[in-house]
Amino acid sequence: MNFIRLKKSVPGFCMDWAAVIALVVAVVAFSLLRGGSFLSSVNAVNILRSMSITTIFAIGATITMAPGGFDMSACTLATVSSFLFASLFLWFALPLWLSVILTVVLTMGLYLLTMFLILVCCVPDMLATCALMFVHQGLGLWWTGGGAVSAGMPTSWGAAPIRTSWTETALSIGASPWCILIMLSCVAFAFVFLQYTRHGRCLYAMGGNHIAAAYSGIPVKKYRFLAGMLTAVMIAVAAIVVCSRNSAAQISGCDSYLMPSLAAVFVGRSVGGAEKPNALGTLVGAALVAVLENGLTQMGVVYYVLPAVKGGVLALALVAAYGPRQRPAHSTTS
Amino acid sequence: MDAVTLEAKGICVDFPGVKALDHVDFQLVSGEIHALVGANGAGKSTLMKVLAGIYSGYRGEVRLDGRTVELRTPAAAQHLGIQIVYQEVDQALVPDLSAAENMLLDELGNPGRLWVNWRRMYRRAEELKRQLHIDFDVRIPVSRLTLAQKQLVLIARALHSRCRILLLDEPTAPLSSAETQTLFDLCRVLVKEGHMSVVFISHRLSEVLQICDRYTVLHNGRFAAGGPITPQTTAGELVAHMLGTGMESARSRVFHPADGELLSVRSLSSRDGSVREISLTVRRGEIVGLAGLVGAGKSEVCKALFGLLPRSAGDILLDGRPVNPRSPAEAVALGIGLVPEERRKQGLFLGENVSFNLGAASLKKWSRLSFLSHKKLKQNAHAQAAALGIKAPSLQQRIEFLSGGNQQKAVVGKWLAADCRLYVFDEPTKGVDVGAKFELLRVMMELAQTGCGVLYASADPGELLQIADRIYVLYSGRIAAELAAACTCEDEIMYYAVGGTAPFFPPGQSGKEEPS
Repeated sequence: MNFIRLKKSVPGFCMDWAAVIALVVAVVAFSLLRGGSFLSSVNAVNILRSMSITTIFAIGATITMAPGGFDMSACTLATVSSFLFASLFLWFALPLWLSVILTVVLTMGLYLLTMFLILVCCVPDMLATCALMFVHQGLGLWWTGGGAVSAGMPTSWGAAPIRTSWTETALSIGASPWCILIMLSCVAFAFVFLQYTRHGRCLYAMGGNHIAAAYSGIPVKKYRFLAGMLTAVMIAVAAIVVCSRNSAAQISGCDSYLMPSLAAVFVGRSVGGAEKPNALGTLVGAALVAVLENGLTQMGVVYYVLPAVKGGVLALALVAAYGPRQRPAHSTTS
Repeated sequence: MDAVTLEAKGICVDFPGVKALDHVDFQLVSGEIHALVGANGAGKSTLMKVLAGIYSGYRGEVRLDGRTVELRTPAAAQHLGIQIVYQEVDQALVPDLSAAENMLLDELGNPGRLWVNWRRMYRRAEELKRQLHIDFDVRIPVSRLTLAQKQLVLIARALHSRCRILLLDEPTAPLSSAETQTLFDLCRVLVKEGHMSVVFISHRLSEVLQICDRYTVLHNGRFAAGGPITPQTTAGELVAHMLGTGMESARSRVFHPADGELLSVRSLSSRDGSVREISLTVRRGEIVGLAGLVGAGKSEVCKALFGLLPRSAGDILLDGRPVNPRSPAEAVALGIGLVPEERRKQGLFLGENVSFNLGAASLKKWSRLSFLSHKKLKQNAHAQAAALGIKAPSLQQRIEFLSGGNQQKAVVGKWLAADCRLYVFDEPTKGVDVGAKFELLRVMMELAQTGCGVLYASADPGELLQIADRIYVLYSGRIAAELAAACTCEDEIMYYAVGGTAPFFPPGQSGKEEPS
């Protein structure tokens, strides 16, 4: 017979919603254990604020991974973007809106290098972006003259900065509620774009079967470029939020967001049985990490053991998502 | 003298739904070169793999030197001195290792060896090199060797272990004629000096007649004929055995007068040499068949038209205007649709549902302001599914769960929705059941009736005769013959497909004219 169960079995259901179940279980468990101090609106905002940057990076990674791409250098590029943003705003005293737009445009310009290596030179994504990690690190520090960019510090050529301090508005980008709203709008954009537009479906088609996509007349290189450019926008936005929250562009300031953001995408991949990187799943993945971090800290787990616990729970979610899953192609025809 | 080395009796192999081998008998005399011939899918490779111990589930008896042996694992076959060299040499080689290491690769798996003795390895490789008259350095990585050299590495690997029977699965298909000659000389040396027997699969009957001592013909998984090759044996005789008798297929299509040229290809050559100076035309409302054996260049012609194969020369005219498709996207924009050979790899989005797959080539039509309309997509899917008779529990079903025939219909449906001018079908009936095959042929005829051009590549001459108007027969990248389907037969197509050059006469009319 050539069909399949339409209804998923119970274990199949649990696998598909593993990340969501883990999130709910974590919230319930921490609420029971810590009561009001965990389950409060103040703490909810805390969690959302702490996950906002990771989520924006993860949305960028989601868009790159939808057509089967990969970007290891997203966060090193973000560090460069944060240098650019801080220097445009402080050194050149450009208005905030112009600094933001220029940062986005310049980041997209820098991303052309990534696209050049991948699309023109045909280097595999993973290797090309690995190499670019180092390029970005050097490039960023060359621009700043080897240091961080913060208020009051002289420019890389030794001149006094035109603006000596951050403005209230610039700092509010990285604080709630703005960072949360920015995160949510990024998620909403990516969700609508990937789920409901032709372009999004083309990206998924490429991720599902690159050859078949090309054979169907989808201009695969153009779409990979489009995905890269959208990722660059997300990177720039995240970099601005990081810069604003730290009220400085620090050396390697964004680098540490790479792994958590990739983890969020991978955890979210299987949410709802999507089996592909998707915006809502990514949001769930990032929320899971943030809830664990917040709850465990409140439970008094010392900060240096925290990564081990966090990593363990992530691994469990990933096992549920990828591990002993029955391969449907073989198990469902009968 | 003519001692029978290997004797296989009543070999049966079942694949799901197909009898790949049905009580096949096979005899190999020691010190001979034995040809195994048959049309595509006749069971030649399956029989080879049984002898090499790949199919543990075969039934029947194999006797080696009169003793019954069990060939249930590759290791068992190798232990008995049976070695096989597959057609796909790259699958058996490690490209980054040196030729010497690849020759002695089987030793790596031996238990109890900790150290690699490089000196011993190279000494042994040099020995093999001398034995096979190899003239390249065994220390260079395999990735830098030519195809013919890679084949020699594999033969060397076979000889390294004790080898009495060497199975060569279509060894000459990728080789040039000079390389083929070298391989033949080597085979003769091995048989004469090494006291080995060689079993040799080839589609090129002229080669078979030139080198082999005896032949076995398989037809549809059954033994069809066998015997010694004498100077009187002719290619036409073998072709008749390969096709079997009583295979008259009723032509189900009346010839359709075509109105004007849709596609005209003039001396098209591809950069990699797999397509050479192909000229063909397709008129509106015409079904043009591309016949030829596997590897004759049918797929390559289709790919060249679809912008997938870089062209080195030649023009393509569509509706009288020169066009130059450099990518599938450009070809689709010109109104060309390709149903590719490997549907799972090249045609389908397995993780997506049926309705997306049916709309994948025409997404622009189903979206407004870039937003995909699921309603329109579903309407299209319903229309195509009804037209093609796609059986699916739901159009929201992931396509990977449908049967092969229904999947193939979905690939065709993808192009129907895209309103192409020219439809190119590359082996569309491969691996689909008889019912679905029938419906696919019907769809092609309907497309032709609406005035589209259809180019239909198939290795099965019977199918082409059923629905094509004209048939081009390809042989190693060139057009060997152009035939009107109404006045040709399977024998004639097969004759040109295996490299026949003289004008064809049906067997029985011309047999006497052969030199004796």
